[in-house]
Amino acid sequence: MSKQKKSKKKPGVCIPWEEKKKELPKISGDEQLVRKVWQDIDALGYMYIWQCLLSF
Amino acid sequence: MAKDMEQLYQERLKRYVTAMRNEKPDMIPIRPFVAEFTAKYAGYTCQEVTHDYEKAFAAARKCAADFDWDAVVGNMVYVWTGLTQAIGMKYYAVPGIDISPNIGFQYIEPPEENAFMKPDEYDQLIEDPTGFLYNVWLPRVSSDVAAEGQPSLYRNNLSFLKGGMAMLSYFNAFGKQNELLRTESGTVSAISGILKAPFDIIADKLRGYLGLVADVMEQPDKVLAACEALMPHLTYIALSGADPSKNVPIGFWMHRGCVPFFSHEHFNKFYWPTLKPIIEEIWAQGHQVLFYAEGNWDAHLKSIASLPEKSIVYHVDQGDIFKVHKVLGERFCISGGIPNWLLATGTPDEVRQYCKKVIDGVASDGGYIMDASAIVQDDAKIENIKALTDFTREYGVY
Repeated sequence: MSKQKKSKKKPGVCIPWEEKKKELPKISGDEQLVRKVWQDIDALGYMYIWQCLLSF
Repeated sequence: MAKDMEQLYQERLKRYVTAMRNEKPDMIPIRPFVAEFTAKYAGYTCQEVTHDYEKAFAAARKCAADFDWDAVVGNMVYVWTGLTQAIGMKYYAVPGIDISPNIGFQYIEPPEENAFMKPDEYDQLIEDPTGFLYNVWLPRVSSDVAAEGQPSLYRNNLSFLKGGMAMLSYFNAFGKQNELLRTESGTVSAISGILKAPFDIIADKLRGYLGLVADVMEQPDKVLAACEALMPHLTYIALSGADPSKNVPIGFWMHRGCVPFFSHEHFNKFYWPTLKPIIEEIWAQGHQVLFYAEGNWDAHLKSIASLPEKSIVYHVDQGDIFKVHKVLGERFCISGGIPNWLLATGTPDEVRQYCKKVIDGVASDGGYIMDASAIVQDDAKIENIKALTDFTREYGVY
């Protein structure tokens, strides 16, 4: 990706974890687990719209 | 039997991959991109294979089982209109609904004034492409998605649920389809993943061709910035669908970025500088890209030749395959070049003669894959596809 310009909005992301985290109470458990699951499912939303654009 | 089929699969995979690396396999691989032809052969209507992907899969498997082909696409009638109808997409004419059940699906480009993206919306797209697609583009292309600020009703909510579930079910079904192709007929799944050029996407799905023609003259900086903003996303999507084993290429569908749709100057200013880095990045990660050069891209062969050696497979549609071979043959594998009109209107003898001419002209050192020029639809005669297949098998042994 070195020759490509850095975008303000990262690929693979609709709603960044940092933005979602602000809505949550202090996480008492494993924050990395919550972050990973959020990002994995958020990526499906990203995939949906880009596949709509490219494949359908 | 299962072991024999796996052995056949491995032989075909080796043959296909060897050719794609521009080397000489044991014989010329055959990889026809058969779309509505599969319906004709298997006894389905265009409506059936377009609207019911299980029938499309079954038709593709029947062809793969009956013809001695090394690789196919699991469903080359790729747009499943069951999904597009479920989410209310407006830009398809669906067989059996909008057009005859015996005609393949059609893409409908809106008039310039109704383009899905307005000429003054480039900044929104550049700022946040994903947000723009969700908030602006999708409500315009779908009758069931509400625009921001509009009431969200039952059908609006359902659209995302149905669309998401349908997409998952369709894409997951490809995994099973590819496995069945392997175990039932020893056939390789020809490509994995999808790429389109930023410039093409703007013409195809956002501004329309006429809109983009105006924009490259009236607001070229915005067009270039939009192409650049799309690059990382298109790279990401291409890599996310790529073959983990790095055997088969990512399919790259080339549309209207070439001369004479646009000038050399526009190609060099917009299309190529925002495509080449994507190909280089994909290649750096170990994946080839199949340049499916729909139409005639001969005017741009020198640019294409500047890509890293072996990074692509170049498919010839309307171009001069002998010229392509001369310019690109030292660096890349070439495929295609058998005219679809010949497959539709010619005789088996004429098909054999044309295949011989192409094989003699471009395949002597390997690095060639037999295929029609363009995607094979239901106008192709079955006896001509058999002639292409059988002749290549007989004559294409190294």
